[in-house]
Amino acid sequence: MAGMCCGVNMVGGETETAKPVEPPSSQSARRRRMEIHQQFRFVASDVAVAPPLENGRKRQKVEVVVPLPPRKSSKLAPGSNEDEENKYFAVNGCGCVVSSSSSDRTPKFGMTSVCGRRRDMEDTVAIHPCFSKADSENHSNLHFFGVYDGHGCSHVAMRCKDRMHEIVKEEVETARDSSSWKETMKRSFSRMDREITDWSNAAADVSTSPCRCELRTPQCDAVGSTAVVAVVTPDKIIISNCGDSRAVLCRNGSAIPLSVDHKPDRPDELERIQEAGGRVIYWDGARVLGVLAMSRAIGDNYLKPYVISDPEVTIIDRTNEDDCLILATDGLWDVVSNDTACGVARICLQSRKPASPVRSPGRSCDATENASAGESSDKACADASILLTKLALARHSTDNVSVVVVDLRRNL
Amino acid sequence: MASPSSHRGQQHCCFNDWMNLQEHDLSELLQAQTVEENGGDKEVQLRRLVDKNVEHFQAYAQERTRLARDHVSPFFAPSWCSSLESSLLWLAGCRPSLFIRLIYALSGLEIESQIKEFLEGLRSSDLSDLSLSARQFSMVNELQGRTIKEEEKLSEEMACLQEKIADQPIAVIAKETTRVLGQSFETNEQADEALDDHSRSMVSILEAADKLRINTLKALVSILSPVQALDFLIAGKKLHICIHQWGNKRDQKHG
Repeated sequence: MAGMCCGVNMVGGETETAKPVEPPSSQSARRRRMEIHQQFRFVASDVAVAPPLENGRKRQKVEVVVPLPPRKSSKLAPGSNEDEENKYFAVNGCGCVVSSSSSDRTPKFGMTSVCGRRRDMEDTVAIHPCFSKADSENHSNLHFFGVYDGHGCSHVAMRCKDRMHEIVKEEVETARDSSSWKETMKRSFSRMDREITDWSNAAADVSTSPCRCELRTPQCDAVGSTAVVAVVTPDKIIISNCGDSRAVLCRNGSAIPLSVDHKPDRPDELERIQEAGGRVIYWDGARVLGVLAMSRAIGDNYLKPYVISDPEVTIIDRTNEDDCLILATDGLWDVVSNDTACGVARICLQSRKPASPVRSPGRSCDATENASAGESSDKACADASILLTKLALARHSTDNVSVVVVDLRRNL
Repeated sequence: MASPSSHRGQQHCCFNDWMNLQEHDLSELLQAQTVEENGGDKEVQLRRLVDKNVEHFQAYAQERTRLARDHVSPFFAPSWCSSLESSLLWLAGCRPSLFIRLIYALSGLEIESQIKEFLEGLRSSDLSDLSLSARQFSMVNELQGRTIKEEEKLSEEMACLQEKIADQPIAVIAKETTRVLGQSFETNEQADEALDDHSRSMVSILEAADKLRINTLKALVSILSPVQALDFLIAGKKLHICIHQWGNKRDQKHG
């Protein structure tokens, strides 16, 4: 996200509102400051199953965790299937991941996340199918999809990738009954934000610093991330959004936005910021205090209370007309309309027949690699995410581009 | 040892030869693009042509490294380049990450029109394989990550080397050098030694930068199909030659 801009101090007359933030900086100076982690993570059809989770999480920006498909093998003792199901494997750098044979349980999805025309990668993506079984009455799983677009550096987005789903899981599983999804998600985002604050306060211990920005500036409050999180249940989609990444539902061919970007010039956001005593300054677009081009974010302590981490939560019932859900960073949305994105995704899904109900478990990676038409709808989702990403680059998106496509078609 | 001016002459020649060779190669590439032949043979032929072009680049790099050992700094501030070209130089050449940007630009040209056809239902081949295949796309991205990392490393090295000028020993030698009023500071053995040392470091950076450029190019053409690689080389050479010529024209215009 190119949300961070040069110094508020340069804007005449507005200096009194500015806390010391980043010095005025050119893009190249920014580059120098920032650690280039992994430039991108890409999810392609040439899937390689990575080592188990604990080995696979070092610094990967995108981590797709997929439950191992239950084995059919009769060698397994009765009951061991359950364990197998709970065993997670990290599949790094690939997104058209693996579905289990019980296709009603594991959603189909595809994911692409690339550095694009930026020199540093600040997007992260987290996908955790079956991350919680809170809905115990129906014995159904909840699936988690999160897209985070960092600014200032990548470490807040990284942290969101690592932690958000865990926090949401805890909140979902402890707070059931009376608590609404809205409250649950708000609590989760608030906890995530607090963790970031605590973490950066404690980051005096340089040796544990995960990224370079902290080594260079002791005060790393000027870092944040968007977060758009989708929790998909058998009958609902819960979208929680903070920032200018976006979730769009593709239903019967038309695009239904499930989040509204938090831009500083959005009338209600503008009012909120002004009521809190902040200002929106037009400096290469509307920016909070002339600095941040979004009005909500995880992190960004120095812009509190004007920039808040409170998500807007949308809950929508799933219908039989739903095609897919698209989550993406502004690297896509800046240059591709919701309608076009849905059109592209829908055609990709249609061009491949849905996954056949019985597939040989455990070899889906190979299957997707050699996929011919009709083999896997994961491949279709991956196609969609890749094509959308390529379209964004073709339209000269200058940002990192991350796209997640979740197949919502039923009774496949 | 030859005089400095003849060094520069050789270096200039080396560059001119390279530009001429590129013009020649470009014609050959353009011709190959138009030749209609049956699949298999053409693939092999194109691949050979692409490899030859990469070898030419490699030979040029080797030649200038050889020349740089005698006198390296002109390569970092070449008198034979237009000011436009000079302003674009990264460690005496182009940024290797430029190659990847060029790929994005080229593939972008195709996609937009094809997407339209898709949305109108006029096309139905493998959607993810538009322009670059999914696999190629992934590999280009990986290459971009590695390349930028390497670029940053070398930039950092260059920064260190440049800063070193203001430190021991060169700054101290300069400080202690005296002069007779009205005359310039004389070089001495100490200064020469220190500057030679500096030059050797510059040569190794030049070598490393050229190696990165070549490796990136090689990696890229190996990701691309022969036809794609051909398009890419043509676009790259045209870009280089155009920037060279446009830059010269602009310099002439501004005196």
